[in-house]
Amino acid sequence: MRNMSNKTDLVGKSPRATIKVKSRSLIIIGVVLIILAVIPQIASDYIIYVATIAMLYAVLAGSYDLTTGYTGPLTFCHGAFYGVGAYTSALLTLKAGFPFWVAFPISGIMVFFFGMIVGYPALRLKGHYFAVTTFFFAHFIYLVILNSQGLTNGPLGLRNISPPESILGISFKSLQSSYYLIFVFGIAAVVFLYFLVNSGIGKILVSIRENDELAEAIGINTSFYKVLAFSIGAGIAGLTGSLFAHFFRLLHPTTFAWMTSEMVVIMAIVGGLGTLFGPIIGAGVVTLILELMRFAPELRFIIWSVALIAVLIIEPGGLMGIAGRIRGGKK
Amino acid sequence: MSTILSIKKLRKEFGGVHAVDNVDFTVDRGIRLGIIGPNGAGKTTTFNMIAGAFKPTSGRIEFKEKRIDGLKPHKISQMGIGRTFQNVRSFKGLTVFEHVLAGNLAHNTRFTPKAEQYQEVENILEMTNLAEMRDVTVQNLTIAYQRRIELATALATKPELLLLDELMAGLTYVEIDKTLNLLRHINEEMGITLIVVEHVMKVIMELCMHIIVLNYGEKIAEGTPKEVANNPIVIEAYLGEEAEYA
Repeated sequence: MRNMSNKTDLVGKSPRATIKVKSRSLIIIGVVLIILAVIPQIASDYIIYVATIAMLYAVLAGSYDLTTGYTGPLTFCHGAFYGVGAYTSALLTLKAGFPFWVAFPISGIMVFFFGMIVGYPALRLKGHYFAVTTFFFAHFIYLVILNSQGLTNGPLGLRNISPPESILGISFKSLQSSYYLIFVFGIAAVVFLYFLVNSGIGKILVSIRENDELAEAIGINTSFYKVLAFSIGAGIAGLTGSLFAHFFRLLHPTTFAWMTSEMVVIMAIVGGLGTLFGPIIGAGVVTLILELMRFAPELRFIIWSVALIAVLIIEPGGLMGIAGRIRGGKK
Repeated sequence: MSTILSIKKLRKEFGGVHAVDNVDFTVDRGIRLGIIGPNGAGKTTTFNMIAGAFKPTSGRIEFKEKRIDGLKPHKISQMGIGRTFQNVRSFKGLTVFEHVLAGNLAHNTRFTPKAEQYQEVENILEMTNLAEMRDVTVQNLTIAYQRRIELATALATKPELLLLDELMAGLTYVEIDKTLNLLRHINEEMGITLIVVEHVMKVIMELCMHIIVLNYGEKIAEGTPKEVANNPIVIEAYLGEEAEYA
Protein backbone atom coordinates (compact mmCIF):
# COMPACT_ATOMS: atom_id res chain seq x y z
CA MET A 1 0.00 0.00 0.00
CA ARG A 2 2.93 2.29 0.73
CA ASN A 3 4.04 1.81 -2.82
CA MET A 4 0.60 2.54 -4.12
CA SER A 5 0.45 5.92 -2.46
CA ASN A 6 3.91 6.78 -3.77
CA LYS A 7 2.88 5.76 -7.21
CA THR A 8 0.07 8.25 -7.51
CA ASP A 9 2.39 11.21 -7.23
CA LEU A 10 4.79 9.56 -9.64
CA VAL A 11 2.12 9.41 -12.29
CA GLY A 12 1.84 13.17 -12.27
CA LYS A 13 5.59 13.66 -12.30
CA SER A 14 6.82 15.40 -15.42
CA PRO A 15 10.33 15.57 -16.94
CA ARG A 16 12.89 18.08 -15.71
CA ALA A 17 12.22 20.50 -18.48
CA THR A 18 8.45 20.29 -18.26
CA ILE A 19 6.63 22.88 -16.26
CA LYS A 20 4.71 21.56 -13.30
CA VAL A 21 1.26 22.97 -13.38
CA LYS A 22 1.04 24.29 -9.86
CA SER A 23 -1.64 26.57 -8.62
CA ARG A 24 0.54 29.63 -9.24
CA SER A 25 1.13 28.67 -12.86
CA LEU A 26 -2.61 28.12 -13.28
CA ILE A 27 -3.31 31.61 -11.95
CA ILE A 28 -0.80 33.12 -14.41
CA ILE A 29 -2.31 31.17 -17.30
CA GLY A 30 -5.79 32.30 -16.23
CA VAL A 31 -4.77 35.97 -16.07
CA VAL A 32 -3.14 35.82 -19.52
CA LEU A 33 -6.23 34.16 -21.00
CA ILE A 34 -8.54 36.77 -19.47
CA ILE A 35 -6.39 39.62 -20.82
CA LEU A 36 -6.36 38.03 -24.28
CA ALA A 37 -10.11 37.50 -24.09
CA VAL A 38 -10.94 41.13 -23.27
CA ILE A 39 -8.47 42.78 -25.70
CA PRO A 40 -10.94 42.96 -28.62
CA GLN A 41 -13.56 44.57 -26.40
CA ILE A 42 -11.43 47.43 -25.12
CA ALA A 43 -8.37 47.88 -27.32
CA SER A 44 -7.75 49.62 -30.62
CA ASP A 45 -7.51 47.73 -33.92
CA TYR A 46 -3.74 48.13 -33.86
CA ILE A 47 -3.45 46.31 -30.54
CA ILE A 48 -5.81 43.60 -31.76
CA TYR A 49 -3.53 43.03 -34.74
CA VAL A 50 -0.44 42.85 -32.54
CA ALA A 51 -2.14 40.43 -30.16
CA THR A 52 -3.22 38.27 -33.09
CA ILE A 53 0.31 38.09 -34.43
CA ALA A 54 1.55 37.22 -30.93
CA MET A 55 -0.97 34.39 -30.66
CA LEU A 56 -0.10 33.00 -34.10
CA TYR A 57 3.59 33.11 -33.20
CA ALA A 58 2.85 31.50 -29.82
CA VAL A 59 1.31 28.48 -31.55
CA LEU A 60 4.22 28.35 -34.00
CA ALA A 61 6.82 28.51 -31.22
CA GLY A 62 4.93 25.91 -29.15
CA SER A 63 4.72 23.47 -32.06
CA TYR A 64 8.35 24.21 -32.93
CA ASP A 65 9.30 23.16 -29.40
CA LEU A 66 7.96 19.67 -30.08
CA THR A 67 10.87 18.92 -32.43
CA THR A 68 13.72 21.08 -31.22
CA GLY A 69 12.86 21.34 -27.53
CA TYR A 70 11.52 17.88 -26.81
CA THR A 71 13.00 15.60 -29.46
CA GLY A 72 16.32 17.36 -30.03
CA PRO A 73 17.06 18.16 -33.69
CA LEU A 74 17.53 21.91 -34.29
CA THR A 75 15.30 23.02 -37.16
CA PHE A 76 15.14 26.30 -39.04
CA CYS A 77 12.18 25.75 -41.32
CA HIS A 78 9.08 26.22 -39.22
CA GLY A 79 8.22 29.41 -41.08
CA ALA A 80 8.24 27.46 -44.34
CA PHE A 81 5.53 25.09 -43.07
CA TYR A 82 3.59 28.12 -41.88
CA GLY A 83 3.85 29.55 -45.40
CA VAL A 84 2.91 26.33 -47.16
CA GLY A 85 -0.17 26.09 -44.91
CA ALA A 86 -1.12 29.70 -45.64
CA TYR A 87 -0.75 29.35 -49.41
CA THR A 88 -2.44 25.95 -49.52
CA SER A 89 -5.47 27.28 -47.70
CA ALA A 90 -5.62 30.53 -49.69
CA LEU A 91 -5.30 28.74 -53.04
CA LEU A 92 -7.87 26.12 -52.12
CA THR A 93 -10.42 28.84 -51.39
CA LEU A 94 -9.44 31.23 -54.21
CA LYS A 95 -8.81 28.81 -57.08
CA ALA A 96 -10.70 25.66 -56.13
CA GLY A 97 -13.57 27.45 -54.42
CA PHE A 98 -13.37 25.42 -51.23
CA PRO A 99 -14.94 26.92 -48.13
CA PHE A 100 -12.49 27.89 -45.39
CA TRP A 101 -13.75 25.15 -43.08
CA VAL A 102 -12.65 22.53 -45.60
CA ALA A 103 -9.45 24.26 -46.66
CA PHE A 104 -8.33 24.71 -43.03
CA PRO A 105 -8.08 21.00 -42.08
CA ILE A 106 -6.80 20.08 -45.55
CA SER A 107 -3.92 22.53 -45.23
CA GLY A 108 -3.05 21.06 -41.81
CA ILE A 109 -3.11 17.51 -43.12
CA MET A 110 -1.19 18.44 -46.26
CA VAL A 111 1.56 20.16 -44.35
CA PHE A 112 1.70 17.20 -41.93
CA PHE A 113 2.47 14.87 -44.85
CA PHE A 114 4.73 17.47 -46.39
CA GLY A 115 6.67 17.53 -43.10
CA MET A 116 6.91 13.75 -43.29
CA ILE A 117 8.28 13.83 -46.85
CA VAL A 118 10.86 16.43 -45.85
CA GLY A 119 11.63 14.97 -42.43
CA TYR A 120 12.11 11.35 -43.49
CA PRO A 121 15.26 11.93 -45.55
CA ALA A 122 16.46 15.07 -43.72
CA LEU A 123 16.30 13.55 -40.23
CA ARG A 124 18.83 10.93 -41.26
CA LEU A 125 21.32 13.75 -40.91
CA LYS A 126 22.47 14.64 -37.45
CA GLY A 127 23.12 17.86 -35.55
CA HIS A 128 24.35 20.78 -37.60
CA TYR A 129 23.97 18.98 -40.90
CA PHE A 130 20.26 18.62 -40.30
CA ALA A 131 19.98 22.23 -39.10
CA VAL A 132 21.69 23.55 -42.25
CA THR A 133 19.46 21.37 -44.45
CA THR A 134 16.30 22.79 -42.87
CA PHE A 135 17.69 26.31 -43.21
CA PHE A 136 18.11 25.91 -46.96
CA PHE A 137 14.83 24.08 -47.26
CA ALA A 138 13.08 27.12 -45.77
CA HIS A 139 14.76 29.35 -48.31
CA PHE A 140 13.88 26.93 -51.10
CA ILE A 141 10.19 27.11 -50.16
CA TYR A 142 10.37 30.91 -50.15
CA LEU A 143 11.90 30.90 -53.65
CA VAL A 144 9.25 28.50 -54.92
CA ILE A 145 6.45 30.71 -53.56
CA LEU A 146 8.15 33.80 -54.99
CA ASN A 147 8.73 32.36 -58.46
CA SER A 148 5.68 30.17 -59.14
CA GLN A 149 3.87 33.16 -60.59
CA GLY A 150 1.14 31.16 -62.25
CA LEU A 151 0.10 29.61 -58.98
CA THR A 152 1.00 31.99 -56.18
CA ASN A 153 1.04 35.25 -58.14
CA GLY A 154 4.71 35.55 -57.18
CA PRO A 155 5.88 38.84 -55.72
CA LEU A 156 2.46 40.44 -56.28
CA GLY A 157 1.01 38.20 -53.61
CA LEU A 158 -2.51 36.87 -53.22
CA ARG A 159 -5.39 39.24 -52.53
CA ASN A 160 -9.07 39.00 -51.73
CA ILE A 161 -8.76 35.87 -49.63
CA SER A 162 -12.17 35.27 -48.11
CA PRO A 163 -12.72 35.42 -44.36
CA PRO A 164 -13.97 32.19 -42.75
CA GLU A 165 -17.67 31.57 -43.53
CA SER A 166 -20.16 32.06 -40.74
CA ILE A 167 -20.74 29.03 -38.63
CA LEU A 168 -23.37 28.52 -35.89
CA GLY A 169 -24.58 32.03 -36.59
CA ILE A 170 -21.16 33.56 -35.87
CA SER A 171 -19.80 35.66 -38.69
CA PHE A 172 -16.05 36.06 -38.98
CA LYS A 173 -16.14 39.20 -41.09
CA SER A 174 -15.25 41.51 -38.21
CA LEU A 175 -11.78 41.83 -36.76
CA GLN A 176 -13.03 40.88 -33.29
CA SER A 177 -14.68 37.62 -34.27
CA SER A 178 -11.65 36.51 -36.33
CA TYR A 179 -9.52 37.31 -33.34
CA TYR A 180 -11.61 35.02 -31.16
CA LEU A 181 -11.34 32.25 -33.75
CA ILE A 182 -7.54 32.41 -33.53
CA PHE A 183 -7.77 32.67 -29.73
CA VAL A 184 -9.82 29.45 -29.52
CA PHE A 185 -7.53 27.70 -32.01
CA GLY A 186 -4.49 28.78 -29.97
CA ILE A 187 -5.94 27.32 -26.78
CA ALA A 188 -6.85 24.08 -28.54
CA ALA A 189 -3.37 23.76 -30.05
CA VAL A 190 -1.60 24.43 -26.75
CA VAL A 191 -3.83 21.98 -24.85
CA PHE A 192 -3.13 19.34 -27.51
CA LEU A 193 0.63 19.96 -27.28
CA TYR A 194 0.50 19.94 -23.49
CA PHE A 195 -1.11 16.51 -23.38
CA LEU A 196 1.21 15.23 -26.08
CA VAL A 197 4.47 16.24 -24.37
CA ASN A 198 3.27 14.89 -21.02
CA SER A 199 2.09 11.57 -22.49
CA GLY A 200 4.03 8.33 -22.86
CA ILE A 201 4.95 9.49 -26.36
CA GLY A 202 6.31 12.75 -24.91
CA LYS A 203 8.57 10.75 -22.59
CA ILE A 204 9.83 8.72 -25.56
CA LEU A 205 10.64 11.98 -27.39
CA VAL A 206 12.54 13.34 -24.39
CA SER A 207 14.61 10.18 -24.12
CA ILE A 208 15.59 10.57 -27.79
CA ARG A 209 16.70 14.14 -27.05
CA GLU A 210 18.74 13.00 -24.06
CA ASN A 211 20.63 10.25 -25.90
CA ASP A 212 19.37 8.87 -29.18
CA GLU A 213 21.84 5.98 -29.32
CA LEU A 214 20.67 4.66 -25.95
CA ALA A 215 17.05 5.31 -26.94
CA GLU A 216 17.57 3.19 -30.05
CA ALA A 217 19.27 0.46 -27.99
CA ILE A 218 16.34 0.16 -25.58
CA GLY A 219 13.96 -0.40 -28.45
CA ILE A 220 12.73 3.04 -29.50
CA ASN A 221 12.38 3.53 -33.24
CA THR A 222 14.13 6.88 -33.06
CA SER A 223 13.79 7.80 -36.74
CA PHE A 224 10.04 7.14 -36.65
CA TYR A 225 9.47 9.31 -33.58
CA LYS A 226 11.69 12.10 -34.88
CA VAL A 227 9.72 12.21 -38.14
CA LEU A 228 6.45 11.99 -36.19
CA ALA A 229 7.30 14.94 -33.93
CA PHE A 230 8.57 16.94 -36.90
CA SER A 231 5.41 16.25 -38.92
CA ILE A 232 3.01 17.03 -36.08
CA GLY A 233 4.83 20.32 -35.52
CA ALA A 234 4.65 21.02 -39.26
CA GLY A 235 0.92 20.19 -39.36
CA ILE A 236 0.16 22.63 -36.55
CA ALA A 237 2.25 25.29 -38.31
CA GLY A 238 0.18 24.59 -41.45
CA LEU A 239 -3.09 25.15 -39.58
CA THR A 240 -1.68 28.35 -38.11
CA GLY A 241 -0.70 29.51 -41.60
CA SER A 242 -4.22 28.87 -42.85
CA LEU A 243 -5.65 31.07 -40.08
CA PHE A 244 -3.08 33.75 -40.88
CA ALA A 245 -4.16 33.78 -44.54
CA HIS A 246 -7.84 34.15 -43.76
CA PHE A 247 -7.31 36.68 -41.00
CA PHE A 248 -5.15 39.12 -43.00
CA ARG A 249 -6.80 38.13 -46.33
CA LEU A 250 -3.57 39.03 -48.08
CA LEU A 251 -0.43 36.91 -48.61
CA HIS A 252 2.99 37.95 -49.72
CA PRO A 253 6.06 35.68 -50.09
CA THR A 254 8.27 37.83 -47.84
CA THR A 255 6.03 36.99 -44.87
CA PHE A 256 7.45 33.47 -45.14
CA ALA A 257 11.06 34.31 -45.90
CA TRP A 258 13.81 32.90 -43.68
CA MET A 259 13.25 35.71 -41.14
CA THR A 260 9.98 34.14 -40.00
CA SER A 261 11.65 30.78 -39.33
CA GLU A 262 14.42 32.55 -37.46
CA MET A 263 11.91 34.50 -35.36
CA VAL A 264 10.28 31.26 -34.24
CA VAL A 265 13.68 29.84 -33.25
CA ILE A 266 14.53 33.01 -31.32
CA MET A 267 11.17 33.05 -29.52
CA ALA A 268 11.57 29.42 -28.48
CA ILE A 269 15.11 29.98 -27.22
CA VAL A 270 14.22 33.18 -25.38
CA GLY A 271 11.33 31.40 -23.70
CA GLY A 272 13.28 28.22 -22.93
CA LEU A 273 13.43 25.13 -25.15
CA GLY A 274 11.75 21.94 -24.02
CA THR A 275 9.29 23.63 -21.69
CA LEU A 276 6.32 24.21 -24.06
CA PHE A 277 5.08 27.23 -22.09
CA GLY A 278 8.48 28.91 -22.41
CA PRO A 279 8.34 29.29 -26.21
CA ILE A 280 4.72 30.45 -25.95
CA ILE A 281 5.65 33.16 -23.44
CA GLY A 282 8.75 33.91 -25.53
CA ALA A 283 6.54 34.52 -28.58
CA GLY A 284 4.47 37.04 -26.62
CA VAL A 285 7.48 38.82 -25.15
CA VAL A 286 9.41 39.01 -28.43
CA THR A 287 6.41 40.28 -30.42
CA LEU A 288 5.76 42.91 -27.77
CA ILE A 289 9.38 44.10 -27.62
CA LEU A 290 9.67 44.31 -31.40
CA GLU A 291 6.48 46.38 -31.55
CA LEU A 292 7.67 48.70 -28.77
CA MET A 293 10.89 49.29 -30.69
CA ARG A 294 9.11 50.45 -33.82
CA PHE A 295 10.12 54.00 -32.97
CA ALA A 296 13.64 53.15 -34.13
CA PRO A 297 13.21 50.81 -37.10
CA GLU A 298 16.86 50.86 -38.11
CA LEU A 299 18.04 50.02 -34.58
CA ARG A 300 15.29 47.52 -33.78
CA PHE A 301 17.08 44.35 -34.79
CA ILE A 302 20.47 45.50 -33.53
CA ILE A 303 19.12 46.19 -30.04
CA TRP A 304 17.18 43.00 -30.23
CA SER A 305 20.21 40.88 -31.23
CA VAL A 306 22.28 42.29 -28.38
CA ALA A 307 19.45 41.50 -25.97
CA LEU A 308 19.22 37.95 -27.31
CA ILE A 309 22.95 37.33 -26.89
CA ALA A 310 22.74 38.74 -23.38
CA VAL A 311 19.89 36.33 -22.53
CA LEU A 312 21.89 33.38 -23.84
CA ILE A 313 24.94 34.31 -21.77
CA ILE A 314 23.00 35.03 -18.58
CA GLU A 315 20.53 32.16 -18.75
CA PRO A 316 20.66 29.58 -21.56
CA GLY A 317 17.41 28.15 -20.16
CA GLY A 318 15.60 31.28 -21.31
CA LEU A 319 12.74 32.93 -19.47
CA MET A 320 11.66 29.60 -18.00
CA GLY A 321 15.18 29.12 -16.70
CA ILE A 322 15.04 32.54 -15.02
CA ALA A 323 11.61 31.75 -13.57
CA GLY A 324 12.97 28.45 -12.25
CA ARG A 325 15.91 30.25 -10.68
CA ILE A 326 13.60 32.72 -8.93
CA ARG A 327 11.50 29.84 -7.61
CA GLY A 328 14.73 28.20 -6.54
CA GLY A 329 13.47 24.89 -7.91
CA LYS A 330 16.23 24.45 -10.46
CA LYS A 331 19.92 24.82 -9.97
CA MET B 1 18.70 -27.06 -23.28
CA SER B 2 17.63 -24.99 -26.24
CA THR B 3 19.83 -22.54 -28.08
CA ILE B 4 18.86 -18.88 -27.76
CA LEU B 5 21.62 -17.33 -29.85
CA SER B 6 23.82 -18.79 -32.51
CA ILE B 7 26.64 -17.08 -34.30
CA LYS B 8 28.16 -18.47 -37.47
CA LYS B 9 31.33 -17.35 -39.23
CA LEU B 10 30.91 -13.80 -37.98
CA ARG B 11 33.31 -11.28 -39.49
CA LYS B 12 33.72 -7.56 -39.16
CA GLU B 13 36.29 -5.52 -41.03
CA PHE B 14 37.05 -1.87 -40.46
CA GLY B 15 38.96 -0.89 -43.58
CA GLY B 16 41.68 -3.53 -43.73
CA VAL B 17 41.53 -4.43 -40.05
CA HIS B 18 39.76 -7.63 -39.04
CA ALA B 19 38.13 -6.72 -35.75
CA VAL B 20 36.25 -10.01 -35.63
CA ASP B 21 37.28 -12.94 -37.82
CA ASN B 22 35.23 -16.09 -38.37
CA VAL B 23 33.84 -16.35 -34.88
CA ASP B 24 31.36 -19.18 -34.20
CA PHE B 25 29.56 -19.91 -30.98
CA THR B 26 26.15 -20.79 -29.62
CA VAL B 27 24.52 -19.68 -26.39
CA ASP B 28 22.13 -21.95 -24.50
CA ARG B 29 19.03 -20.43 -22.97
CA GLY B 30 19.39 -19.57 -19.31
CA ILE B 31 23.18 -19.69 -18.99
CA ARG B 32 25.70 -17.06 -17.95
CA LEU B 33 28.30 -16.80 -20.68
CA GLY B 34 31.53 -14.83 -20.36
CA ILE B 35 33.56 -13.41 -23.22
CA ILE B 36 37.15 -12.54 -22.34
CA GLY B 37 40.24 -11.54 -24.22
CA PRO B 38 42.98 -8.91 -24.25
CA ASN B 39 42.23 -5.35 -25.33
CA GLY B 40 41.21 -5.15 -28.96
CA ALA B 41 40.23 -8.80 -29.13
CA GLY B 42 36.84 -7.96 -30.67
CA LYS B 43 34.56 -8.42 -27.66
CA THR B 44 32.72 -5.13 -27.91
CA THR B 45 32.57 -5.36 -31.70
CA THR B 46 30.87 -8.74 -31.34
CA PHE B 47 28.37 -7.18 -28.92
CA ASN B 48 27.71 -4.31 -31.26
CA MET B 49 26.96 -6.73 -34.07
CA ILE B 50 24.57 -8.81 -31.95
CA ALA B 51 22.77 -5.66 -30.76
CA GLY B 52 22.61 -4.22 -34.26
CA ALA B 53 24.85 -1.19 -33.79
CA PHE B 54 27.25 -2.61 -36.43
CA LYS B 55 26.35 -4.58 -39.52
CA PRO B 56 28.60 -7.64 -39.88
CA THR B 57 30.82 -7.81 -42.96
CA SER B 58 29.75 -11.42 -43.31
CA GLY B 59 28.33 -14.24 -41.24
CA ARG B 60 25.06 -14.97 -39.56
CA ILE B 61 23.50 -14.18 -36.20
CA GLU B 62 20.35 -16.02 -35.20
CA PHE B 63 18.26 -15.19 -32.15
CA LYS B 64 15.53 -17.67 -31.31
CA GLU B 65 16.07 -19.20 -34.76
CA LYS B 66 15.44 -15.89 -36.55
CA ARG B 67 18.16 -14.14 -38.45
CA ILE B 68 18.88 -10.76 -36.84
CA ASP B 69 22.17 -9.57 -38.34
CA GLY B 70 21.78 -6.23 -40.08
CA LEU B 71 18.51 -5.35 -38.34
CA LYS B 72 18.19 -1.94 -36.67
CA PRO B 73 19.06 -1.83 -32.94
CA HIS B 74 15.48 -0.99 -31.91
CA LYS B 75 14.12 -4.03 -33.81
CA ILE B 76 16.62 -6.29 -32.05
CA SER B 77 15.72 -4.77 -28.70
CA GLN B 78 12.03 -5.35 -29.45
CA MET B 79 12.82 -9.02 -30.16
CA GLY B 80 14.23 -9.43 -26.66
CA ILE B 81 17.94 -8.56 -26.59
CA GLY B 82 18.93 -5.91 -24.04
CA ARG B 83 22.36 -4.37 -23.68
CA THR B 84 24.52 -1.98 -21.70
CA PHE B 85 27.37 0.06 -23.17
CA GLN B 86 31.07 -0.09 -22.36
CA ASN B 87 31.12 3.69 -21.94
CA VAL B 88 28.11 4.51 -19.81
CA ARG B 89 25.26 6.04 -21.74
CA SER B 90 22.35 7.67 -20.02
CA PHE B 91 19.49 10.09 -20.40
CA LYS B 92 21.33 12.60 -18.25
CA GLY B 93 18.55 15.10 -17.66
CA LEU B 94 15.93 12.57 -16.54
CA THR B 95 15.34 11.34 -13.02
CA VAL B 96 16.20 7.73 -12.22
CA PHE B 97 12.53 6.80 -12.31
CA GLU B 98 11.92 8.43 -15.69
CA HIS B 99 15.09 6.83 -17.04
CA VAL B 100 13.94 3.32 -16.21
CA LEU B 101 10.37 4.14 -17.27
CA ALA B 102 11.70 5.00 -20.74
CA GLY B 103 12.85 1.37 -21.05
CA ASN B 104 9.37 0.13 -20.20
CA LEU B 105 7.58 2.64 -22.46
CA ALA B 106 9.91 1.84 -25.35
CA HIS B 107 8.35 -1.62 -25.56
CA ASN B 108 4.81 -0.64 -24.69
CA THR B 109 4.28 2.91 -25.86
CA ARG B 110 0.97 4.30 -24.69
CA PHE B 111 -0.39 7.81 -24.67
CA THR B 112 -1.35 7.26 -21.04
CA PRO B 113 0.90 4.61 -19.47
CA LYS B 114 -0.93 1.98 -17.43
CA ALA B 115 -0.61 1.72 -13.66
CA GLU B 116 1.08 -1.71 -14.09
CA GLN B 117 3.83 -0.07 -16.11
CA TYR B 118 4.65 2.27 -13.24
CA GLN B 119 4.53 -0.68 -10.86
CA GLU B 120 6.93 -2.71 -13.00
CA VAL B 121 9.40 0.16 -12.98
CA GLU B 122 8.94 0.45 -9.24
CA ASN B 123 9.79 -3.25 -8.83
CA ILE B 124 12.92 -2.98 -10.94
CA LEU B 125 14.10 0.02 -8.91
CA GLU B 126 13.53 -1.98 -5.75
CA MET B 127 15.45 -4.97 -7.11
CA THR B 128 18.41 -2.93 -8.36
CA ASN B 129 18.57 -0.94 -5.12
CA LEU B 130 17.76 2.34 -6.80
CA ALA B 131 14.43 3.03 -5.11
CA GLU B 132 15.73 5.71 -2.78
CA MET B 133 17.44 7.53 -5.65
CA ARG B 134 14.46 7.54 -7.91
CA ASP B 135 13.81 11.30 -7.96
CA VAL B 136 17.47 12.24 -8.38
CA THR B 137 18.58 13.55 -11.79
CA VAL B 138 20.84 10.95 -13.39
CA GLN B 139 23.67 13.36 -14.23
CA ASN B 140 24.19 14.07 -10.53
CA LEU B 141 24.96 10.44 -9.74
CA THR B 142 28.29 8.59 -9.79
CA ILE B 143 29.36 6.31 -12.63
CA ALA B 144 28.63 3.28 -10.44
CA TYR B 145 25.01 4.41 -10.12
CA GLN B 146 24.77 5.28 -13.79
CA ARG B 147 25.89 1.77 -14.72
CA ARG B 148 23.23 0.32 -12.46
CA ILE B 149 20.61 2.66 -13.97
CA GLU B 150 21.61 1.51 -17.43
CA LEU B 151 21.20 -2.10 -16.30
CA ALA B 152 17.82 -1.31 -14.72
CA THR B 153 16.66 0.40 -17.91
CA ALA B 154 17.74 -2.61 -19.97
CA LEU B 155 15.79 -4.85 -17.56
CA ALA B 156 12.72 -2.65 -17.97
CA THR B 157 12.65 -3.66 -21.64
CA LYS B 158 11.99 -7.25 -20.45
CA PRO B 159 14.82 -8.90 -22.37
CA GLU B 160 15.36 -12.63 -22.76
CA LEU B 161 19.05 -12.12 -23.44
CA LEU B 162 21.14 -9.40 -21.86
CA LEU B 163 24.53 -8.25 -23.16
CA LEU B 164 26.59 -6.62 -20.41
CA ASP B 165 29.71 -4.80 -21.57
CA GLU B 166 32.14 -4.21 -18.70
CA LEU B 167 29.42 -3.52 -16.20
CA MET B 168 31.92 -3.77 -13.35
CA ALA B 169 34.54 -1.38 -14.69
CA GLY B 170 35.43 1.22 -12.08
CA LEU B 171 33.46 -0.42 -9.27
CA THR B 172 34.87 -1.15 -5.80
CA TYR B 173 35.08 -4.75 -4.54
CA VAL B 174 32.00 -4.27 -2.37
CA GLU B 175 30.03 -2.94 -5.32
CA ILE B 176 31.29 -5.79 -7.50
CA ASP B 177 30.02 -8.35 -4.97
CA LYS B 178 26.62 -6.69 -4.84
CA THR B 179 26.39 -6.55 -8.61
CA LEU B 180 27.39 -10.23 -8.87
CA ASN B 181 24.49 -11.16 -6.59
CA LEU B 182 22.16 -9.01 -8.64
CA LEU B 183 23.28 -10.67 -11.88
CA ARG B 184 22.77 -14.14 -10.40
CA HIS B 185 19.30 -13.10 -9.32
CA ILE B 186 18.49 -11.75 -12.80
CA ASN B 187 19.70 -14.98 -14.34
CA GLU B 188 18.26 -17.52 -11.92
CA GLU B 189 15.00 -15.91 -10.79
CA MET B 190 14.06 -13.99 -13.91
CA GLY B 191 15.43 -16.54 -16.36
CA ILE B 192 17.36 -14.00 -18.42
CA THR B 193 20.33 -15.37 -20.34
CA LEU B 194 23.46 -13.29 -19.72
CA ILE B 195 26.47 -12.64 -21.92
CA VAL B 196 29.13 -10.77 -20.01
CA VAL B 197 32.25 -9.02 -21.26
CA GLU B 198 34.54 -8.20 -18.37
CA HIS B 199 38.16 -7.41 -17.67
CA VAL B 200 37.90 -8.29 -13.98
CA MET B 201 38.82 -12.02 -13.99
CA LYS B 202 37.34 -12.63 -10.57
CA VAL B 203 33.94 -11.66 -11.92
CA ILE B 204 34.12 -13.90 -14.96
CA MET B 205 35.42 -16.88 -12.98
CA GLU B 206 32.81 -16.56 -10.24
CA LEU B 207 29.83 -15.67 -12.39
CA CYS B 208 30.06 -17.52 -15.66
CA MET B 209 29.27 -21.15 -16.43
CA HIS B 210 30.90 -21.03 -19.81
CA ILE B 211 33.66 -18.83 -21.21
CA ILE B 212 34.71 -17.87 -24.72
CA VAL B 213 38.19 -16.46 -25.25
CA LEU B 214 38.85 -14.08 -28.14
CA ASN B 215 42.23 -12.83 -29.31
CA TYR B 216 42.86 -10.64 -32.35
CA GLY B 217 39.28 -11.16 -33.44
CA GLU B 218 39.44 -14.96 -33.39
CA LYS B 219 38.03 -17.46 -30.95
CA ILE B 220 41.04 -19.21 -29.41
CA ALA B 221 39.38 -21.25 -26.66
CA GLU B 222 36.05 -22.14 -25.11
CA GLY B 223 34.99 -24.08 -22.00
CA THR B 224 34.21 -23.94 -18.31
CA PRO B 225 36.09 -21.36 -16.22
CA LYS B 226 38.45 -24.08 -14.99
CA GLU B 227 39.23 -25.43 -18.45
CA VAL B 228 39.86 -21.95 -19.79
CA ALA B 229 42.09 -20.95 -16.90
CA ASN B 230 44.29 -24.02 -17.46
CA ASN B 231 44.36 -23.76 -21.24
CA PRO B 232 47.96 -23.12 -22.40
CA ILE B 233 46.82 -21.08 -25.43
CA VAL B 234 44.84 -18.72 -23.18
CA ILE B 235 47.72 -18.39 -20.73
CA GLU B 236 50.01 -17.53 -23.60
CA ALA B 237 47.64 -14.91 -24.99
CA TYR B 238 47.43 -13.26 -21.59
CA LEU B 239 51.06 -13.70 -20.56
CA GLY B 240 52.16 -12.35 -23.89
CA GLU B 241 50.23 -9.25 -23.04
CA GLU B 242 51.69 -9.13 -19.52
CA ALA B 243 55.20 -9.48 -20.88
CA GLU B 244 54.68 -6.38 -22.97
CA TYR B 245 53.88 -4.40 -19.88
CA ALA B 246 56.97 -5.62 -18.03
